Amino acid sequence: MTTAFTFYVLIWPALTLGVLFVICRAVLQDRRQARKEKRELV
Amino acid sequence: MNSVSLYQFSTLTVILLMLAFYGGTYLITQGIRKKNEDADAFMVSNHRVGFGMGAASMTATWIWAASFYAAATSGYIYGVSGPIHYGLWGALMILFIYPFGRRFRKLAPNAHTLGELIHARHGASSQLILALSNVLGSVISLMVNFTAAGALVSVLSPLSFQAGVIIAGIGVLLYTLQSGFRASVLTDFAQLVALMVIAIVIIPAVFFAMGGPSELVAGLENLTPQQNNFFSTDAILNQGAPFFVAVLAYAIGNQTISQRLFAVNEKHIKSTFLTATVGYGAIVIGLGMIGLMALTLGLQPLDGDMNNLIPQMVSEYLPPLFIALFFILVIGSLSSTADSDLSALSAIMMADVYGKNIAKGKANPKRMLLIGRLTMITATVIGIVFASFSLDILVMLVFVGALWGAIVFPVIASCFWDRVTNAAFTTSVLTAMVLFCIARFELVPLGGLGGLFFELLASIGGGVIIGLMVFGFLGRTAGFIAAVLAMLAMLIFATGFLRDYTVLLASLTAYGTSTLVCVVMSLSSRQKRFNFKLINERVGNYEPAVEPR
Repeated sequence: MTTAFTFYVLIWPALTLGVLFVICRAVLQDRRQARKEKRELV
Repeated sequence: MNSVSLYQFSTLTVILLMLAFYGGTYLITQGIRKKNEDADAFMVSNHRVGFGMGAASMTATWIWAASFYAAATSGYIYGVSGPIHYGLWGALMILFIYPFGRRFRKLAPNAHTLGELIHARHGASSQLILALSNVLGSVISLMVNFTAAGALVSVLSPLSFQAGVIIAGIGVLLYTLQSGFRASVLTDFAQLVALMVIAIVIIPAVFFAMGGPSELVAGLENLTPQQNNFFSTDAILNQGAPFFVAVLAYAIGNQTISQRLFAVNEKHIKSTFLTATVGYGAIVIGLGMIGLMALTLGLQPLDGDMNNLIPQMVSEYLPPLFIALFFILVIGSLSSTADSDLSALSAIMMADVYGKNIAKGKANPKRMLLIGRLTMITATVIGIVFASFSLDILVMLVFVGALWGAIVFPVIASCFWDRVTNAAFTTSVLTAMVLFCIARFELVPLGGLGGLFFELLASIGGGVIIGLMVFGFLGRTAGFIAAVLAMLAMLIFATGFLRDYTVLLASLTAYGTSTLVCVVMSLSSRQKRFNFKLINERVGNYEPAVEPR
Protein backbone atom coordinates (compact mmCIF):
# COMPACT_ATOMS: atom_id res chain seq x y z
CA MET A 1 0.00 0.00 0.00
CA THR A 2 2.74 2.45 1.00
CA THR A 3 4.82 1.59 -2.04
CA ALA A 4 1.80 1.91 -4.32
CA PHE A 5 0.95 5.38 -2.98
CA THR A 6 4.57 6.51 -3.15
CA PHE A 7 4.58 5.47 -6.81
CA TYR A 8 1.19 7.13 -7.38
CA VAL A 9 2.43 10.48 -6.05
CA LEU A 10 5.96 10.47 -7.43
CA ILE A 11 5.30 9.10 -10.91
CA TRP A 12 4.03 12.53 -12.02
CA PRO A 13 7.18 14.55 -11.27
CA ALA A 14 9.18 11.67 -12.79
CA LEU A 15 7.08 11.87 -15.98
CA THR A 16 7.48 15.65 -15.97
CA LEU A 17 11.25 15.20 -15.82
CA GLY A 18 11.08 12.83 -18.79
CA VAL A 19 9.02 15.26 -20.86
CA LEU A 20 11.32 18.14 -19.89
CA PHE A 21 14.29 16.14 -21.18
CA VAL A 22 12.50 15.30 -24.46
CA ILE A 23 11.45 18.91 -25.05
CA CYS A 24 14.87 20.42 -24.26
CA ARG A 25 16.64 17.94 -26.54
CA ALA A 26 14.13 18.65 -29.31
CA VAL A 27 14.55 22.41 -28.96
CA LEU A 28 18.31 22.05 -29.35
CA GLN A 29 17.70 20.02 -32.52
CA ASP A 30 15.20 22.65 -33.74
CA ARG A 31 17.85 25.31 -33.18
CA ARG A 32 20.51 23.36 -35.08
CA GLN A 33 18.10 22.73 -37.94
CA ALA A 34 17.08 26.39 -38.11
CA ARG A 35 20.73 27.49 -38.25
CA LYS A 36 21.47 24.93 -40.96
CA GLU A 37 18.59 26.28 -43.03
CA LYS A 38 19.54 29.88 -42.20
CA ARG A 39 16.15 30.73 -40.81
CA GLU A 40 14.86 31.80 -37.42
CA LEU A 41 13.80 29.35 -34.71
CA VAL A 42 10.33 30.91 -34.52
CA MET B 1 -4.50 19.92 11.47
CA ASN B 2 -6.52 23.07 10.97
CA SER B 3 -5.98 26.05 8.72
CA VAL B 4 -2.44 27.28 8.27
CA SER B 5 -1.64 30.94 7.71
CA LEU B 6 0.18 31.89 4.54
CA TYR B 7 3.75 33.10 4.36
CA GLN B 8 3.95 36.81 3.58
CA PHE B 9 6.51 38.37 1.24
CA SER B 10 7.37 42.05 1.63
CA THR B 11 6.06 44.42 -1.03
CA LEU B 12 9.60 44.91 -2.31
CA THR B 13 10.22 41.16 -2.67
CA VAL B 14 7.04 40.62 -4.69
CA ILE B 15 7.78 43.58 -6.94
CA LEU B 16 11.34 42.31 -7.48
CA LEU B 17 10.07 38.80 -8.27
CA MET B 18 7.60 40.12 -10.83
CA LEU B 19 10.16 42.52 -12.30
CA ALA B 20 12.64 39.67 -12.62
CA PHE B 21 10.04 37.45 -14.30
CA TYR B 22 8.58 39.98 -16.74
CA GLY B 23 11.90 41.75 -17.28
CA GLY B 24 13.60 38.46 -18.09
CA THR B 25 10.79 37.44 -20.42
CA TYR B 26 10.91 40.81 -22.17
CA LEU B 27 14.67 40.47 -22.69
CA ILE B 28 14.18 37.01 -24.24
CA THR B 29 11.81 38.47 -26.84
CA GLN B 30 14.33 41.17 -27.80
CA GLY B 31 16.39 38.43 -29.45
CA ILE B 32 13.75 37.81 -32.12
CA ARG B 33 12.55 41.39 -32.54
CA LYS B 34 12.41 42.69 -36.12
CA LYS B 35 12.12 46.27 -37.26
CA ASN B 36 9.56 45.31 -39.88
CA GLU B 37 7.54 42.46 -38.49
CA ASP B 38 5.87 40.07 -40.96
CA ALA B 39 2.06 39.93 -40.62
CA ASP B 40 1.92 36.16 -41.27
CA ALA B 41 4.73 35.44 -38.80
CA PHE B 42 3.02 37.67 -36.24
CA MET B 43 0.07 35.22 -36.38
CA VAL B 44 1.62 31.77 -36.94
CA SER B 45 5.40 32.18 -37.15
CA ASN B 46 6.71 30.49 -40.32
CA HIS B 47 4.35 27.45 -40.33
CA ARG B 48 7.47 25.43 -39.50
CA VAL B 49 7.84 25.67 -35.74
CA GLY B 50 9.81 22.58 -34.65
CA PHE B 51 8.68 19.72 -32.45
CA GLY B 52 10.43 20.95 -29.30
CA MET B 53 9.22 24.55 -29.46
CA GLY B 54 5.76 23.42 -30.55
CA ALA B 55 5.35 20.87 -27.74
CA ALA B 56 6.65 23.36 -25.16
CA SER B 57 4.31 26.08 -26.40
CA MET B 58 1.26 23.80 -26.51
CA THR B 59 1.93 22.52 -22.97
CA ALA B 60 2.61 25.96 -21.50
CA THR B 61 -0.45 27.47 -23.17
CA TRP B 62 -2.80 24.75 -21.97
CA ILE B 63 -1.55 25.02 -18.38
CA TRP B 64 -3.04 28.08 -16.74
CA ALA B 65 -3.07 29.10 -13.11
CA ALA B 66 -6.49 27.56 -12.58
CA SER B 67 -5.08 24.16 -13.63
CA PHE B 68 -3.10 23.82 -10.37
CA TYR B 69 -5.79 25.20 -8.12
CA ALA B 70 -8.56 23.13 -9.70
CA ALA B 71 -6.51 19.90 -9.73
CA ALA B 72 -5.63 20.37 -6.05
CA THR B 73 -9.26 21.18 -5.26
CA SER B 74 -10.34 18.03 -7.09
CA GLY B 75 -7.84 15.99 -5.05
CA TYR B 76 -9.08 17.60 -1.85
CA ILE B 77 -12.78 17.04 -2.59
CA TYR B 78 -12.78 13.70 -4.39
CA GLY B 79 -9.73 12.09 -2.78
CA VAL B 80 -7.51 9.50 -4.45
CA SER B 81 -8.93 9.77 -7.98
CA GLY B 82 -9.58 13.54 -7.87
CA PRO B 83 -6.36 14.80 -9.51
CA ILE B 84 -6.75 12.24 -12.32
CA HIS B 85 -10.31 13.38 -13.04
CA TYR B 86 -9.06 16.93 -13.55
CA GLY B 87 -5.72 16.44 -15.27
CA LEU B 88 -6.46 13.44 -17.45
CA TRP B 89 -9.42 14.96 -19.26
CA GLY B 90 -7.64 18.26 -19.69
CA ALA B 91 -4.74 16.37 -21.24
CA LEU B 92 -7.05 14.43 -23.54
CA MET B 93 -8.36 17.71 -24.93
CA ILE B 94 -4.92 18.14 -26.51
CA LEU B 95 -4.74 14.53 -27.66
CA PHE B 96 -8.15 14.28 -29.29
CA ILE B 97 -7.76 17.39 -31.41
CA TYR B 98 -4.63 16.36 -33.30
CA PRO B 99 -6.24 13.93 -35.79
CA PHE B 100 -8.65 16.72 -36.75
CA GLY B 101 -5.80 19.21 -36.69
CA ARG B 102 -3.94 17.23 -39.32
CA ARG B 103 -7.01 17.43 -41.53
CA PHE B 104 -7.34 21.19 -40.97
CA ARG B 105 -3.70 21.60 -41.89
CA LYS B 106 -4.02 19.43 -44.99
CA LEU B 107 -6.99 21.46 -46.21
CA ALA B 108 -5.48 24.86 -45.45
CA PRO B 109 -1.70 24.65 -45.00
CA ASN B 110 -1.31 28.44 -45.02
CA ALA B 111 -4.19 29.31 -42.69
CA HIS B 112 -3.74 31.42 -39.57
CA THR B 113 -7.07 30.67 -37.87
CA LEU B 114 -9.68 27.93 -38.06
CA GLY B 115 -12.14 30.70 -38.96
CA GLU B 116 -10.29 31.32 -42.25
CA LEU B 117 -10.75 27.68 -43.17
CA ILE B 118 -14.46 27.84 -42.37
CA HIS B 119 -14.74 31.11 -44.33
CA ALA B 120 -13.25 29.38 -47.37
CA ARG B 121 -15.58 26.43 -46.88
CA HIS B 122 -18.84 28.25 -46.12
CA GLY B 123 -18.56 32.04 -46.08
CA ALA B 124 -18.84 34.83 -43.55
CA SER B 125 -21.73 33.80 -41.28
CA SER B 126 -20.26 30.43 -40.23
CA GLN B 127 -16.81 31.94 -39.90
CA LEU B 128 -18.00 34.78 -37.68
CA ILE B 129 -19.86 32.37 -35.38
CA LEU B 130 -16.61 30.48 -34.88
CA ALA B 131 -14.61 33.71 -34.48
CA LEU B 132 -17.08 35.01 -31.90
CA SER B 133 -16.80 31.84 -29.84
CA ASN B 134 -12.99 32.09 -30.02
CA VAL B 135 -12.99 35.76 -28.97
CA LEU B 136 -15.27 35.18 -25.99
CA GLY B 137 -13.19 32.21 -24.89
CA SER B 138 -9.92 34.10 -25.03
CA VAL B 139 -11.30 37.18 -23.25
CA ILE B 140 -12.61 34.98 -20.43
CA SER B 141 -9.28 33.18 -20.23
CA LEU B 142 -7.41 36.51 -20.06
CA MET B 143 -9.64 37.73 -17.30
CA VAL B 144 -9.27 34.51 -15.29
CA ASN B 145 -5.49 34.59 -15.59
CA PHE B 146 -5.21 38.24 -14.55
CA THR B 147 -7.55 37.49 -11.64
CA ALA B 148 -5.26 34.64 -10.57
CA ALA B 149 -2.29 37.05 -10.59
CA GLY B 150 -4.20 39.52 -8.41
CA ALA B 151 -5.28 36.81 -5.98
CA LEU B 152 -1.76 35.39 -5.68
CA VAL B 153 -0.16 38.79 -5.04
CA SER B 154 -2.81 39.76 -2.50
CA VAL B 155 -2.58 36.55 -0.43
CA LEU B 156 1.23 36.38 -0.38
CA SER B 157 2.07 40.07 0.09
CA PRO B 158 0.69 43.39 1.36
CA LEU B 159 0.14 44.49 -2.27
CA SER B 160 -3.46 44.85 -3.39
CA PHE B 161 -5.38 42.52 -5.73
CA GLN B 162 -5.63 45.29 -8.35
CA ALA B 163 -1.86 45.88 -8.24
CA GLY B 164 -1.27 42.21 -9.07
CA VAL B 165 -3.78 42.33 -11.95
CA ILE B 166 -2.24 45.46 -13.45
CA ILE B 167 1.38 44.29 -13.16
CA ALA B 168 0.53 40.95 -14.82
CA GLY B 169 -1.52 42.61 -17.56
CA ILE B 170 1.14 45.17 -18.47
CA GLY B 171 3.96 42.61 -18.13
CA VAL B 172 2.34 40.17 -20.56
CA LEU B 173 1.39 42.90 -23.03
CA LEU B 174 4.90 44.38 -23.10
CA TYR B 175 6.67 41.21 -24.17
CA THR B 176 3.95 40.08 -26.64
CA LEU B 177 3.16 43.36 -28.40
CA GLN B 178 6.14 43.59 -30.74
CA SER B 179 6.41 40.07 -32.16
CA GLY B 180 3.00 38.53 -31.38
CA PHE B 181 2.81 34.77 -31.74
CA ARG B 182 6.58 34.43 -32.23
CA ALA B 183 7.16 36.04 -28.84
CA SER B 184 4.47 33.86 -27.31
CA VAL B 185 6.06 30.62 -28.58
CA LEU B 186 9.60 31.59 -27.61
CA THR B 187 8.67 32.68 -24.09
CA ASP B 188 6.43 29.63 -23.68
CA PHE B 189 9.53 27.46 -23.88
CA ALA B 190 11.38 29.42 -21.20
CA GLN B 191 8.28 29.59 -19.00
CA LEU B 192 7.61 25.87 -19.39
CA VAL B 193 11.15 24.90 -18.44
CA ALA B 194 10.85 27.00 -15.26
CA LEU B 195 7.40 25.60 -14.57
CA MET B 196 8.50 21.98 -15.00
CA VAL B 197 11.65 22.32 -12.91
CA ILE B 198 9.63 23.90 -10.09
CA ALA B 199 6.93 21.19 -10.29
CA ILE B 200 9.60 18.45 -10.25
CA VAL B 201 11.08 19.94 -7.07
CA ILE B 202 7.94 21.06 -5.21
CA ILE B 203 5.82 17.88 -5.43
CA PRO B 204 8.32 15.49 -3.78
CA ALA B 205 9.46 18.25 -1.41
CA VAL B 206 5.95 18.74 0.00
CA PHE B 207 5.34 14.97 0.00
CA PHE B 208 8.38 14.12 2.11
CA ALA B 209 8.14 17.23 4.30
CA MET B 210 4.59 16.34 5.34
CA GLY B 211 5.78 12.94 6.56
CA GLY B 212 6.12 10.93 3.37
CA PRO B 213 4.30 7.78 2.28
CA SER B 214 3.56 6.48 5.78
CA GLU B 215 1.83 9.71 6.80
CA LEU B 216 -0.19 9.77 3.56
CA VAL B 217 -1.33 6.16 3.95
CA ALA B 218 -2.17 6.72 7.63
CA GLY B 219 -4.26 9.74 6.65
CA LEU B 220 -6.31 7.71 4.19
CA GLU B 221 -8.27 6.39 7.17
CA ASN B 222 -9.82 9.84 7.55
CA LEU B 223 -11.26 9.74 4.03
CA THR B 224 -14.82 8.75 3.13
CA PRO B 225 -15.30 5.48 1.22
CA GLN B 226 -15.89 7.48 -1.99
CA GLN B 227 -12.71 9.52 -1.47
CA ASN B 228 -10.77 6.30 -0.84
CA ASN B 229 -12.09 4.65 -3.98
CA PHE B 230 -9.99 5.04 -7.13
CA PHE B 231 -13.16 4.40 -9.18
CA SER B 232 -15.31 6.82 -7.21
CA THR B 233 -18.66 7.47 -8.91
CA ASP B 234 -18.82 10.86 -7.15
CA ALA B 235 -15.59 11.90 -8.83
CA ILE B 236 -16.62 10.49 -12.20
CA LEU B 237 -20.08 12.06 -12.30
CA ASN B 238 -19.24 15.44 -10.78
CA GLN B 239 -15.71 16.04 -12.06
CA GLY B 240 -14.83 13.59 -14.82
CA ALA B 241 -18.05 13.46 -16.90
CA PRO B 242 -18.57 17.22 -17.38
CA PHE B 243 -14.91 17.52 -18.41
CA PHE B 244 -15.18 14.56 -20.76
CA VAL B 245 -18.15 16.21 -22.49
CA ALA B 246 -16.04 19.32 -23.00
CA VAL B 247 -12.97 17.54 -24.40
CA LEU B 248 -13.64 18.30 -28.08
CA ALA B 249 -15.49 21.56 -27.48
CA TYR B 250 -12.58 23.21 -25.66
CA ALA B 251 -10.14 22.20 -28.36
CA ILE B 252 -12.30 23.31 -31.30
CA GLY B 253 -13.44 26.51 -29.61
CA ASN B 254 -9.95 27.63 -28.70
CA GLN B 255 -7.92 29.63 -31.22
CA THR B 256 -4.78 29.16 -29.11
CA ILE B 257 -4.83 25.49 -30.12
CA SER B 258 -5.66 26.00 -33.81
CA GLN B 259 -2.99 28.70 -34.02
CA ARG B 260 -0.40 26.13 -32.95
CA LEU B 261 -1.87 23.52 -35.29
CA PHE B 262 -1.21 25.93 -38.18
CA ALA B 263 2.20 26.99 -36.85
CA VAL B 264 3.87 23.66 -36.13
CA ASN B 265 5.78 21.86 -38.87
CA GLU B 266 3.15 19.60 -40.48
CA LYS B 267 5.35 16.51 -40.02
CA HIS B 268 5.49 17.06 -36.26
CA ILE B 269 1.83 17.68 -35.40
CA LYS B 270 1.35 14.20 -33.93
CA SER B 271 4.55 14.10 -31.83
CA THR B 272 3.99 17.69 -30.68
CA PHE B 273 0.48 17.08 -29.44
CA LEU B 274 1.30 13.66 -27.91
CA THR B 275 4.19 15.16 -25.93
CA ALA B 276 2.04 18.09 -24.81
CA THR B 277 -0.64 15.63 -23.65
CA VAL B 278 1.82 13.76 -21.42
CA GLY B 279 3.47 16.97 -20.22
CA TYR B 280 0.22 18.65 -19.29
CA GLY B 281 -1.13 15.53 -17.56
CA ALA B 282 2.03 14.93 -15.54
CA ILE B 283 2.39 18.51 -14.26
CA VAL B 284 -1.27 19.10 -13.46
CA ILE B 285 -2.02 15.70 -11.91
CA GLY B 286 1.24 15.93 -9.94
CA LEU B 287 0.35 19.32 -8.44
CA GLY B 288 -3.18 18.02 -7.83
CA MET B 289 -1.60 15.42 -5.51
CA ILE B 290 -0.86 18.27 -3.09
CA GLY B 291 -4.65 18.60 -2.65
CA LEU B 292 -4.85 14.90 -1.82
CA MET B 293 -2.01 15.31 0.70
CA ALA B 294 -3.89 18.22 2.30
CA LEU B 295 -6.99 16.06 2.58
CA THR B 296 -5.18 13.18 4.29
CA LEU B 297 -3.67 15.64 6.78
CA GLY B 298 -7.09 17.13 7.56
CA LEU B 299 -5.99 20.64 6.52
CA GLN B 300 -8.76 23.21 6.25
CA PRO B 301 -8.49 25.74 3.41
CA LEU B 302 -7.84 29.26 4.68
CA ASP B 303 -11.04 31.37 4.62
CA GLY B 304 -12.76 28.36 3.02
CA ASP B 305 -11.02 29.21 -0.26
CA MET B 306 -9.80 26.08 -2.04
CA ASN B 307 -7.33 28.18 -4.05
CA ASN B 308 -5.34 28.56 -0.83
CA LEU B 309 -4.67 24.81 -0.54
CA ILE B 310 -1.35 24.67 -2.42
CA PRO B 311 0.03 27.96 -0.96
CA GLN B 312 -0.94 26.72 2.52
CA MET B 313 0.83 23.38 2.06
CA VAL B 314 3.93 25.07 0.68
CA SER B 315 3.89 27.70 3.48
CA GLU B 316 3.51 25.04 6.15
CA TYR B 317 6.13 22.55 5.05
CA LEU B 318 8.71 24.32 2.93
CA PRO B 319 11.13 27.24 3.44
CA PRO B 320 10.42 30.69 1.87
CA LEU B 321 12.58 29.90 -1.18
CA PHE B 322 10.01 27.31 -2.26
CA ILE B 323 7.20 29.80 -1.78
CA ALA B 324 9.04 32.13 -4.14
CA LEU B 325 9.35 29.21 -6.60
CA PHE B 326 5.62 28.54 -6.26
CA PHE B 327 4.97 32.21 -6.93
CA ILE B 328 6.99 32.02 -10.16
CA LEU B 329 5.22 28.76 -11.06
CA VAL B 330 1.81 30.44 -10.96
CA ILE B 331 2.96 33.68 -12.63
CA GLY B 332 4.66 31.64 -15.37
CA SER B 333 1.63 29.47 -16.03
CA LEU B 334 -0.84 32.36 -16.16
CA SER B 335 1.47 34.52 -18.30
CA SER B 336 2.09 31.78 -20.88
CA THR B 337 -1.66 31.33 -21.32
CA ALA B 338 -2.38 35.06 -21.32
CA ASP B 339 0.22 35.80 -24.02
CA SER B 340 -1.31 33.01 -26.14
CA ASP B 341 -4.75 34.54 -25.68
CA LEU B 342 -3.45 37.93 -26.80
CA SER B 343 -1.87 36.32 -29.87
CA ALA B 344 -5.07 34.38 -30.58
CA LEU B 345 -7.26 37.47 -30.31
CA SER B 346 -4.96 39.52 -32.52
CA ALA B 347 -4.93 36.76 -35.19
CA ILE B 348 -8.74 36.59 -35.17
CA MET B 349 -9.07 40.35 -35.61
CA MET B 350 -6.32 40.46 -38.24
CA ALA B 351 -7.37 37.48 -40.35
CA ASP B 352 -11.02 36.71 -39.61
CA VAL B 353 -12.36 40.22 -39.18
CA TYR B 354 -10.06 42.50 -41.19
CA GLY B 355 -8.53 40.09 -43.72
CA LYS B 356 -11.65 38.19 -44.71
CA ASN B 357 -14.52 40.56 -43.99
CA ILE B 358 -13.23 44.12 -44.28
CA ALA B 359 -10.32 44.01 -46.75
CA LYS B 360 -11.87 41.04 -48.59
CA GLY B 361 -8.72 39.66 -50.16
CA LYS B 362 -6.92 43.02 -50.45
CA ALA B 363 -5.46 43.16 -46.98
CA ASN B 364 -2.62 45.55 -46.26
CA PRO B 365 -0.07 43.66 -44.08
CA LYS B 366 1.06 46.83 -42.29
CA ARG B 367 -2.52 47.70 -41.40
CA MET B 368 -3.03 44.11 -40.27
CA LEU B 369 -0.12 44.42 -37.85
CA LEU B 370 -1.51 47.66 -36.50
CA ILE B 371 -4.91 45.99 -35.98
CA GLY B 372 -3.23 43.04 -34.26
CA ARG B 373 -1.35 45.25 -31.83
CA LEU B 374 -4.34 47.48 -31.12
CA THR B 375 -6.34 44.31 -30.41
CA MET B 376 -3.73 43.20 -27.89
CA ILE B 377 -3.84 46.55 -26.10
CA THR B 378 -7.67 46.62 -26.07
CA ALA B 379 -7.91 43.01 -24.89
CA THR B 380 -5.43 43.66 -22.08
CA VAL B 381 -7.41 46.69 -20.92
CA ILE B 382 -10.66 44.68 -21.01
CA GLY B 383 -9.02 41.79 -19.16
CA ILE B 384 -7.61 44.12 -16.47
CA VAL B 385 -10.93 45.98 -16.03
CA PHE B 386 -13.01 42.78 -15.83
CA ALA B 387 -10.52 41.18 -13.43
CA SER B 388 -10.06 44.30 -11.25
CA PHE B 389 -13.77 44.72 -10.69
CA SER B 390 -14.27 40.98 -10.20
CA LEU B 391 -17.16 41.11 -12.70
CA ASP B 392 -19.49 38.14 -12.69
CA ILE B 393 -18.82 36.22 -15.89
CA LEU B 394 -20.87 33.15 -15.05
CA VAL B 395 -23.53 33.83 -17.69
CA MET B 396 -20.85 34.51 -20.30
CA LEU B 397 -19.13 31.26 -19.35
CA VAL B 398 -22.37 29.32 -19.71
CA PHE B 399 -23.01 30.71 -23.20
CA VAL B 400 -19.45 30.20 -24.39
CA GLY B 401 -19.53 26.59 -23.21
CA ALA B 402 -22.79 26.06 -25.09
CA LEU B 403 -21.49 27.75 -28.22
CA TRP B 404 -18.36 25.60 -28.18
CA GLY B 405 -20.45 22.45 -27.81
CA ALA B 406 -22.80 23.55 -30.60
CA ILE B 407 -20.03 24.19 -33.14
CA VAL B 408 -18.07 20.96 -32.66
CA PHE B 409 -20.00 18.77 -35.12
CA PRO B 410 -20.61 21.44 -37.79
CA VAL B 411 -16.91 22.45 -37.81
CA ILE B 412 -15.59 18.88 -37.99
CA ALA B 413 -18.23 17.71 -40.48
CA SER B 414 -17.50 20.72 -42.71
CA CYS B 415 -13.91 19.55 -43.05
CA PHE B 416 -14.72 15.94 -43.93
CA TRP B 417 -18.16 15.90 -45.56
CA ASP B 418 -18.69 17.72 -48.86
CA ARG B 419 -22.47 18.06 -48.40
CA VAL B 420 -22.50 20.35 -45.34
CA THR B 421 -23.84 23.78 -46.36
CA ASN B 422 -23.42 27.25 -44.89
CA ALA B 423 -27.14 27.34 -44.04
CA ALA B 424 -26.86 23.96 -42.29
CA PHE B 425 -23.83 25.17 -40.29
CA THR B 426 -25.41 28.45 -39.17
CA THR B 427 -28.92 27.13 -38.52
CA SER B 428 -27.68 24.12 -36.59
CA VAL B 429 -25.55 26.25 -34.26
CA LEU B 430 -28.33 28.80 -33.64
CA THR B 431 -30.97 26.09 -33.05
CA ALA B 432 -28.62 24.29 -30.67
CA MET B 433 -28.09 27.52 -28.71
CA VAL B 434 -31.84 28.07 -28.36
CA LEU B 435 -32.51 24.52 -27.17
CA PHE B 436 -29.48 24.69 -24.88
CA CYS B 437 -30.95 27.78 -23.18
CA ILE B 438 -34.35 26.13 -22.80
CA ALA B 439 -32.79 23.11 -21.09
CA ARG B 440 -30.13 24.96 -19.10
CA PHE B 441 -32.51 27.54 -17.62
CA GLU B 442 -35.46 25.07 -17.47
CA LEU B 443 -37.66 27.38 -19.54
CA VAL B 444 -40.01 24.41 -20.03
CA PRO B 445 -40.77 21.83 -17.34
CA LEU B 446 -38.25 19.01 -17.60
CA GLY B 447 -40.60 16.40 -16.20
CA GLY B 448 -42.64 14.15 -18.50
CA LEU B 449 -42.42 14.59 -22.27
CA GLY B 450 -40.32 17.78 -22.08
CA GLY B 451 -37.61 15.95 -20.15
CA LEU B 452 -37.81 12.97 -22.47
CA PHE B 453 -37.40 15.21 -25.54
CA PHE B 454 -34.21 16.74 -24.18
CA GLU B 455 -32.88 13.37 -23.01
CA LEU B 456 -33.31 12.05 -26.55
CA LEU B 457 -31.35 15.00 -27.94
CA ALA B 458 -28.74 14.59 -25.21
CA SER B 459 -28.40 10.90 -26.06
CA ILE B 460 -27.65 11.85 -29.65
CA GLY B 461 -25.15 14.36 -28.26
CA GLY B 462 -23.45 11.66 -26.18
CA GLY B 463 -23.24 9.45 -29.27
CA VAL B 464 -21.77 12.31 -31.29
CA ILE B 465 -19.00 12.96 -28.75
CA ILE B 466 -17.92 9.32 -28.55
CA GLY B 467 -18.36 8.85 -32.29
CA LEU B 468 -16.19 11.85 -33.19
CA MET B 469 -13.44 10.79 -30.78
CA VAL B 470 -13.32 7.29 -32.27
CA PHE B 471 -13.63 8.67 -35.81
CA GLY B 472 -10.58 10.86 -35.28
CA PHE B 473 -8.34 7.87 -34.56
CA LEU B 474 -10.01 4.87 -36.20
CA GLY B 475 -11.99 6.24 -39.14
CA ARG B 476 -15.55 6.57 -40.32
CA THR B 477 -16.94 3.04 -39.80
CA ALA B 478 -15.56 2.63 -36.28
CA GLY B 479 -16.73 6.14 -35.42
CA PHE B 480 -20.24 5.47 -36.67
CA ILE B 481 -20.50 2.17 -34.77
CA ALA B 482 -19.18 3.80 -31.58
CA ALA B 483 -21.67 6.68 -31.96
CA VAL B 484 -24.63 4.31 -32.35
CA LEU B 485 -23.55 2.16 -29.42
CA ALA B 486 -22.99 5.20 -27.19
CA MET B 487 -26.34 6.67 -28.20
CA LEU B 488 -28.14 3.39 -27.43
CA ALA B 489 -26.38 3.14 -24.07
CA MET B 490 -27.41 6.71 -23.29
CA LEU B 491 -31.02 5.99 -24.29
CA ILE B 492 -31.12 2.99 -21.98
CA PHE B 493 -29.30 4.44 -18.99
CA ALA B 494 -29.91 8.19 -19.20
CA THR B 495 -33.62 8.33 -19.93
CA GLY B 496 -35.50 9.49 -16.87
CA PHE B 497 -32.22 10.24 -15.10
CA LEU B 498 -30.30 12.89 -17.03
CA ARG B 499 -33.02 15.52 -16.53
CA ASP B 500 -31.84 15.82 -12.91
CA TYR B 501 -28.42 17.02 -14.12
CA THR B 502 -29.42 20.10 -16.14
CA VAL B 503 -25.88 21.33 -16.85
CA LEU B 504 -24.88 18.01 -18.39
CA LEU B 505 -28.29 17.64 -20.11
CA ALA B 506 -28.05 21.09 -21.69
CA SER B 507 -24.45 20.61 -22.85
CA LEU B 508 -25.25 17.29 -24.49
CA THR B 509 -28.41 18.83 -26.00
CA ALA B 510 -26.23 21.44 -27.74
CA TYR B 511 -24.11 18.70 -29.33
CA GLY B 512 -27.12 16.56 -30.28
CA THR B 513 -29.22 19.38 -31.73
CA SER B 514 -26.48 20.90 -33.86
CA THR B 515 -25.61 17.47 -35.25
CA LEU B 516 -29.21 16.55 -36.01
CA VAL B 517 -30.06 19.85 -37.71
CA CYS B 518 -26.74 19.97 -39.60
CA VAL B 519 -27.15 16.40 -40.93
CA VAL B 520 -30.84 16.76 -41.90
CA MET B 521 -30.32 20.13 -43.63
CA SER B 522 -27.20 18.96 -45.44
CA LEU B 523 -28.85 15.76 -46.67
CA SER B 524 -31.94 17.60 -47.88
CA SER B 525 -29.94 20.34 -49.65
CA ARG B 526 -29.69 20.29 -53.45
CA GLN B 527 -26.54 22.41 -53.36
CA LYS B 528 -23.57 21.17 -55.41
CA ARG B 529 -21.05 19.12 -53.42
CA PHE B 530 -18.08 21.14 -52.19
CA ASN B 531 -14.63 20.68 -53.69
CA PHE B 532 -12.21 20.67 -50.76
CA LYS B 533 -9.29 21.70 -53.00
CA LEU B 534 -10.84 25.17 -53.15
CA ILE B 535 -9.94 25.80 -49.50
CA ASN B 536 -6.20 25.81 -50.18
CA GLU B 537 -6.76 28.16 -53.11
CA ARG B 538 -8.80 30.53 -50.99
CA VAL B 539 -6.61 30.64 -47.86
CA GLY B 540 -3.13 32.03 -48.29
CA ASN B 541 -0.52 34.31 -46.80
CA TYR B 542 -1.00 38.06 -46.54
CA GLU B 543 2.58 39.18 -47.07
CA PRO B 544 3.45 39.51 -50.77
CA ALA B 545 6.92 37.95 -50.56
CA VAL B 546 6.45 34.39 -49.43
CA GLU B 547 9.33 32.05 -48.87
CA PRO B 548 8.82 28.55 -50.34
CA ARG B 549 7.26 26.13 -47.85
